[in-house]
Amino acid sequence: MSQLVFDLVLRTGDVALVAVALSAAYSLVRFPNIATVYYATIGPFLTYVLARVGLAFWLAAALATVAVGVLAVVLNATVFDRLLRSGSAIAMIGSLAVGMLVTAVLLVTAGPDSMRFAFALSPPQDLLGARVTALQLWSMGLSSAALLGFALILFFTDIGRCMRATAANADLARATGIDAHGVIRVITFASGVLAALGGICLSLKGELNILMGPDLILPVFAAAILGGLGNPLGAILGAAVIALTEVIAASTNFGPLLGQAFLFLPVNYIGATSFAILVLALLFRPYGLFVNEVRRV
Amino acid sequence: MRSSLVLGLGLLLATHVAAKAELVVGAVIPLSGASATQGEDQRRGMEIALEEINAAGGVLGKPVKLIVEDSGGRVPSALDAAKKLVTVDSVSAVIGEYSSGITIPIGQYLVQSGKIHLNIGSSSNRIRDLGATSFSVLGLEAVSSKFAAKDVVAQGWKKIVIVGPNNAYGQGMASGVKEELEKLGATVMSTLLYTEGQTTYRRELQQAAQMKPDAFVYSAYGKDAALMNREAFELGINKTPWYAIYLSMCTADSQRETVVGQYGMDLNFVGPNGKAYEEAYRKKYGMSFKTSFSGYGYDALKLLAAAAGKAGSAEPAKLREALIELGKGYEGATGTITFDAGRQRSEQPYLTLKMGQNGYEPR
Repeated sequence: MSQLVFDLVLRTGDVALVAVALSAAYSLVRFPNIATVYYATIGPFLTYVLARVGLAFWLAAALATVAVGVLAVVLNATVFDRLLRSGSAIAMIGSLAVGMLVTAVLLVTAGPDSMRFAFALSPPQDLLGARVTALQLWSMGLSSAALLGFALILFFTDIGRCMRATAANADLARATGIDAHGVIRVITFASGVLAALGGICLSLKGELNILMGPDLILPVFAAAILGGLGNPLGAILGAAVIALTEVIAASTNFGPLLGQAFLFLPVNYIGATSFAILVLALLFRPYGLFVNEVRRV
Repeated sequence: MRSSLVLGLGLLLATHVAAKAELVVGAVIPLSGASATQGEDQRRGMEIALEEINAAGGVLGKPVKLIVEDSGGRVPSALDAAKKLVTVDSVSAVIGEYSSGITIPIGQYLVQSGKIHLNIGSSSNRIRDLGATSFSVLGLEAVSSKFAAKDVVAQGWKKIVIVGPNNAYGQGMASGVKEELEKLGATVMSTLLYTEGQTTYRRELQQAAQMKPDAFVYSAYGKDAALMNREAFELGINKTPWYAIYLSMCTADSQRETVVGQYGMDLNFVGPNGKAYEEAYRKKYGMSFKTSFSGYGYDALKLLAAAAGKAGSAEPAKLREALIELGKGYEGATGTITFDAGRQRSEQPYLTLKMGQNGYEPR
């Protein structure tokens, strides 16, 4: 049981970072940016390359996240901003195209094989009955710290207030003297950083390959929509719901229902649970679990 | 005018005959991807064979030419490579691949193209059906499942979970081993087929662990196996015995710490006549065999060269007859190679092993 809870927290952390990144960017730049999940692929690959060159892992990860943040700002200014003038659907398709381009570039440069960071093998420790490795704890700490930091910025700093003001009413915010473009740059940067961190946390525990980003599309979109697109902290709860269904689907023994001793859902089909939730959410709660009065999508 | 035409024609004929007389062999093996370690070992075996053949003057009065192509561990690139070998390089025979899921399609293509195909690393029973010009120099799974099942039951394990890749090899291995285990009175609680190339196998492992078997019987390709072994270690699932079908395939890329104590079986890769080959390998690469698969590459190329010499030709049809003739008892580095009526190696010696701190230990 405690292993399940632990897995739930781990998975929530992975999905939440990228979902928050997606949702935060959406709050100001009004289209669901699919490239966000691809930022989560670039982050770990950059870290891997920098670590191979000889940088310490933490330094490599910091540089990679900043670089992805800058990339997000540049892409936003040069590509998405222009596409958005033709409509949010166009911009969304454009972001998918950028994502595919990223995958193609990584395929040519890094190849299709999985890679892993060169950490020493860490023996599992017993934590309240769950088996935990040091890397998993690091990953968990890193994602919690990033989410907490982002929440603090959003609610307790001037720039955070500007972000929320611009998200609520851009015209009014501009009229009060807020530099809307500056705020958009900051939030796009933050979204790139969070997505890259999400990818790094994910690859810390397993391996990294070019399909990490595409594999995240469904859970991340389901989590962000459940939380209400544009509501970054709602995305964390959305991620928890997704993680919970995934963990339950993966670990429930359906055998007794069908008169067999053991029958588990094949792991490949577990991604379908987030798809199911996405469909249900779009049908019944298209504006998220937590929103009634304000339309966010 | 006429004389120059005749001369030209004669020259053309002469070069044509010369091209036919030379033995050109292609190889499609995984030099990158999950099984790159095994693929490199296959290549080493062939390279040593090539050097020996050509040092002894080659075949048909010419050095043998070997063209090695990387399959990347993927069907499309393996097929492209096989097509290139047949159409551009005009090879007589192609050796390869490693994974059954890839060996079968390239074998089908080669048989259709009328070329000789030599399987040196795959053991799916479906390879038997590839067709008239396909040969296997290692024993297929019908032989290996029986051996592994008997060995597993001999350890006293009764409740088994089988883990393997979801491809032609894994499916065949799982159903074959299951059948043989059940014949011997053991229970197969579940068969878990995983998708290759994932970035984590935690969920599969956790599902398997919930069943609390006496032992896991598994077979997985190099780098996938390494990740799985590492995660089993991290989850503490390695406390239950693991039995590897082809231990060297399952552990060559794994960190030693994560696989110490694993039981397993493997191909007996050094036959009574293999000492000289073992010595040559050690001398050339400064280490003992990395996996159990290099000897099969060595034997395959040697066998082809011997067949070409015997047939006096590099024509696939003549090579085929010579191979069948030689396959009545060819003394290779991996033991005596005898083909059955379906051109598959009928007798395959295996080893029972255990993974120790310092490497494979015989049991």
